Amino acid sequence: MAAPSPLATRIVEEHAAASDSLPAGVVSRERRRSAIDTLAVQGLPTSRDENWKYANLRPLDKVRFAPLAADASANADALSPVTLADLPPRIEGYARYTFVDGVFFPALSAPAERTGISVVSLRSDPERAKRTPPAYALREQSPSKDARFALLNEAFATDGASIRVAAGTDCPTCIELVFVANRDSQTAASYPRVELHVEAGATLGLIERHLSVGSDANFVNTAVSVDIARGASVNHYRVQQSGARAIWFDTLSAVLAQDATYRLHGVSLGGLSARSTINVQLAGERADAGIYVVSLGDRQQVQDAFVLVDHVAPRARSEQIFRGISAGRARVTFNGMVVVRKGAQGTDSQQSLRGLLAGPDAEIDVRPQLEIYTDDVRCSHGATAGKLDDNMLFYLLSRGLDPETAQRLLKWAFLEDVVAKIEVPELRRQIEHSLAGQLKDAAALKELL
Amino acid sequence: MLKIENLHVSVDGKEILKGLTLDVGAGEVHAIMGPNGSGKSTLAYALAGRPGYEITAGKVTFGERDLMSLAPEERAREGVFLGFQYPVEIPGVNNVYLLKAALNAARKHRGLPEVDAFEFLGLVREKMKVMHMDEAFLSRGVNEGFSGGEKKRNEVLQMLMLEPRLAILDETDSGLDIDALKVVANGVNTLRSPERSVVLVTHYQRLLDYIVPDYVHVLVRGRIARSGDKSLALELDRRGYDWISEEAA
Repeated sequence: MAAPSPLATRIVEEHAAASDSLPAGVVSRERRRSAIDTLAVQGLPTSRDENWKYANLRPLDKVRFAPLAADASANADALSPVTLADLPPRIEGYARYTFVDGVFFPALSAPAERTGISVVSLRSDPERAKRTPPAYALREQSPSKDARFALLNEAFATDGASIRVAAGTDCPTCIELVFVANRDSQTAASYPRVELHVEAGATLGLIERHLSVGSDANFVNTAVSVDIARGASVNHYRVQQSGARAIWFDTLSAVLAQDATYRLHGVSLGGLSARSTINVQLAGERADAGIYVVSLGDRQQVQDAFVLVDHVAPRARSEQIFRGISAGRARVTFNGMVVVRKGAQGTDSQQSLRGLLAGPDAEIDVRPQLEIYTDDVRCSHGATAGKLDDNMLFYLLSRGLDPETAQRLLKWAFLEDVVAKIEVPELRRQIEHSLAGQLKDAAALKELL
Repeated sequence: MLKIENLHVSVDGKEILKGLTLDVGAGEVHAIMGPNGSGKSTLAYALAGRPGYEITAGKVTFGERDLMSLAPEERAREGVFLGFQYPVEIPGVNNVYLLKAALNAARKHRGLPEVDAFEFLGLVREKMKVMHMDEAFLSRGVNEGFSGGEKKRNEVLQMLMLEPRLAILDETDSGLDIDALKVVANGVNTLRSPERSVVLVTHYQRLLDYIVPDYVHVLVRGRIARSGDKSLALELDRRGYDWISEEAA
């Protein structure tokens, strides 16, 4: 076997040094050990790995992997310069739970007691280690090689949110998680972590935000596991607005049982280098997954997303819609893979992936991939990458609009397919403002908002 | 109002208009007819400033200005309106937003303040009534999922809102049933006034029963082969275009 890479060696060393201060209640010592052992052998992905060639992995050479020592982060309340004013406005009906550098921060939170809903900080829940491990650990070829950043999270996590929704609970307007990255990537890493269990027949609305306050050059490595039981339904909104120099990695694994519904809305705007690895497994018959992603890149940003939708059970449905705009010297990519396993007959899967180039030096890569191992399936996919439509542009100019306004308007319209799916009006407004700001057109587009 | 002198236009290096001369006075309605491929739509696009329509010779004066030196949006703000033969669908851009943005662009050009929101809605409602359009369509995307007839009505609605000095309507009658044709023609007729001119590009005489032109011109192979009054259109309807093509050759 090849010797561990220098990066893997450093991870192992930093873990050994930090190991005593990592809370065992969050992830058991055995699981941390097993995660680090796997990483020691496999290392982190490199650009030679098929599903990682568009990600920007170079900054990892310079980050510190260890989080703040447990005692330091326990005193975070006193130390942190993060205030309520730094956080986005709350959205009516959503109880807020705020984490700073991965650690729960009650002073910035606004929890609510709700029948059937339990939200606890992983650190404060010593019983949890006895419960079911998260979804990515349950996968068939566990752990998937693409889930190595989740292992890194498992090895170093200092806290997180454990959410349980009891059977039959109806809470469509429910929980907001705010993950604030505060420290510089060379000082301490931030490991946001979410373990979500939604029991049979329940309905949940969840907002998950990622932002930077303090340093804008954080290293963040998020791991989210989602288990949706029979007939349950989850609307999950994820908004990534990290700082301009942040290195942001993310692994989300979801498993859907029979008749479960999952709507994953991703908005990726921030960071210098962002990568989301999303794995949605349709494990039960007639499970239904919708994945709607908007990514904007500008300057030197890299926005990379890899989505695997795994049709295991028969008669399940999945839909992926991606809209990305790349400007400046940015690279925006979406790699959407659908696997239809043997026995997943009656699968219905659709992909609509579109990228827009908004500058001569920008890069867009959209790639639909299909692997089908059964006969009776209906799979459709469309992928385009290009510039603004000349016919549309001329039509608007012929009505007297100046070229800048016309282009903005068309970029805006391009994102509409995904933005329109956001069903929380206040969140949608906030996101539209952020998109307008990112497109540098906040003032000009205000009439649309 | 509009003075076209010896206009030559090439598209993709191929010359389509080969020395077209035409004078459109204020308040006049001119119909441009002609067989397919004679250059009718090219004329419309060239006047509106569509990229790719290269002016290789000739001159176009609009009022006092050299029209060809202006960008498409400047032409629009100066009061040139092109009604598209195939109006473009723009999902995600609201009809009402486009109407407002277009109106305000023209107002700004004339040194007027932005239109008052209340006044604007009143104006839109009034014009929509003329075009027999349902208000629900205001909140839809521009031409998104519209039928052929709805698209053409929408073009005329935009024209009525913008009140151009020169309206160029490119086959606004094509694909319309007789009821829709009457509505569209009525819309155009409401705009007629001593200050406004209309250039109707059409393949068929039918439209001219409802919008009566002052002049009819027949375009053949990039030039005007014959001009006359409304009776020329009737003659074309009876005899077709071949005899003029042969004469021109």
